Amino acid sequence: MTLFPRKLFNDSLPQIVMKHQLYSIHNDKTLVDKELNKLREQGELLMFQLGFDADAFGLVFASDYKAKVLAGEDGRATRATVEKFLEKLPSLCTELSFSKDKMLKEFRFTDSEITQLVKSGVLTVRDAGSWWLSIPNSGKFTKYFIQGRKAVLNMVKKSKYSEVLKTELEERRTTSHVKFQMKYHIHDIVGAELVESIPTTSGTLLRFVDS
Amino acid sequence: MLGFLTARQAGVDDPLRLRRAESTRRVLSLKLNPDRDVDRIHGNGINTIDIEAVEGRYMLSGGADGVIVIYDLENYSRKLQYTCKAVCTVGRSSRYVHKFSVETVQWYPYDTGMFVSSSFDKTMKVWDTETLKPAEVFEFEGNVYSHHLSPIARKHSLIAVGTTDPKIQLCDLKSGSRIHVLQGHRAEILSVRWSPRYDHILATASADSKVKVWDVRRASGSLFTLDQHNGDKSKASSEAVNTAHNGRVNGLCFTGDGLYLLTTGTDDRMRLWNSATGENTLVNYGKVCNESRKRLQFTVSRGCSPEFVFVPCGSSVAVYALHTGELVTMLRGHYNNVDCCEFHPDYQELYTGGKDCNILAWVPAPRAPDVEEESKSANQAAADQSSVNPAFQDAWSSDED
Repeated sequence: MTLFPRKLFNDSLPQIVMKHQLYSIHNDKTLVDKELNKLREQGELLMFQLGFDADAFGLVFASDYKAKVLAGEDGRATRATVEKFLEKLPSLCTELSFSKDKMLKEFRFTDSEITQLVKSGVLTVRDAGSWWLSIPNSGKFTKYFIQGRKAVLNMVKKSKYSEVLKTELEERRTTSHVKFQMKYHIHDIVGAELVESIPTTSGTLLRFVDS
Repeated sequence: MLGFLTARQAGVDDPLRLRRAESTRRVLSLKLNPDRDVDRIHGNGINTIDIEAVEGRYMLSGGADGVIVIYDLENYSRKLQYTCKAVCTVGRSSRYVHKFSVETVQWYPYDTGMFVSSSFDKTMKVWDTETLKPAEVFEFEGNVYSHHLSPIARKHSLIAVGTTDPKIQLCDLKSGSRIHVLQGHRAEILSVRWSPRYDHILATASADSKVKVWDVRRASGSLFTLDQHNGDKSKASSEAVNTAHNGRVNGLCFTGDGLYLLTTGTDDRMRLWNSATGENTLVNYGKVCNESRKRLQFTVSRGCSPEFVFVPCGSSVAVYALHTGELVTMLRGHYNNVDCCEFHPDYQELYTGGKDCNILAWVPAPRAPDVEEESKSANQAAADQSSVNPAFQDAWSSDED
């Protein structure tokens, strides 16, 4: 969590971690999944579908999310609706997306309120009549994330034999394309299995997987 | 091990516990053994292997050139070095051989007098092992990807056949009829499997990303379709409802007790399902590389305490723990893609066949001799002692006689 750069976005975004980055930290994927589901049911963690990869889920602590969204809404007309939405937060934690009937019946939002929520960035359009839960202003995050991932992967690919020691990769200077810290990206590519992690006598070796 | 033996003797432990612990230890130490080897008869890749259920002695293999070979796996020579000999073959010179590659072979579950093979030449042949002539030939309109005979059925002798046609055909061995058809899929059927627990439950996997479970006694459609999101519509895009995978589903395997079903798909995922309710148990195996355009034959161990799944992944076989999803080891040894693998439950051995025309036998590594034994054997004929497999050692007759 501490690897997430806050100053880059002028503090407007809560700290986001990818689910597969956690796979790189712990060995047991099923256990990680179970614990995450538990936290989501308790209402402490929110999961988002980030849209660039069917399997990539972003995780944010509920308290962080609330604080940042409210801070972003300060002085805007849509603030009241957003506050109402956030009050339902504990029940929101278990869902990734919402369909129209759910919004109208369960949460009792009107059509215009839904439009306001989309405008403020809390919901993004998924299909006609259904919406993903999302983080306002997360477009920049996604852009930098994908750019950085590509750049780091290229670094591994261009190395001799397409493999590089993890410690050596951490030492390398990042190009201007890579906005996040190296470690953040390493956890991402290892967890998403875009590189194979091989234990050797001189540390972990990351080898590019050609699929 | 000695602890387990004395506990079993004293009645403190259930006898099953010793068996399970030892089987698990043996599976965890699987590796290639230079002493065990299978005769090389196939000139092309091997697509399918089956070990008979009755004695576990004979193994069938079907190759990409249409050749079918039967091997004897039992080692009756008193030597450690053993090559599993081919007992007989249906070679290219036989009049009845399949014209194109053999995709699935299976022994008749009750004795080795009969076996069934299906192939890309759009036929399925029921062979008499004695004369190596087909007793019955079923013809189809499309390539036959997979067939399966129920291993426990007493009341029926149906063979479920999956072809390029979206309808699953059930052929009856007793009458030769093929009128029973199961409709529901929308694309070719890549794999079919009967449940080892109930003789009327059939699972089928298709290229339309769906896996359906059928009760063959019912006239209406399938019992249920496996859904990877367990009905949680929020996770999927609206088109991907009710799919087991995000790509073609090309491998199906029930666990030994029939309670769970494993499926693999071209979205590089393997999923474990509860076979009674169809619920996805959400065990995360990570990326299970899968590029096969046809059926992938993978297998689950039987008789061990955490069961293991052996999945061919490229040119090696990945071993995962069934319920935790942890990758135990990768068995490397083939030179080219591995297409099929089969587990021998009595000896805890794994046989794998691949495009490099080899069938490799993975045998549990023998236990290292104890320190005590080593010093004793240094005095006696040392070579004799350690080279004979402890299972063949004479432990009953006394030296004084």
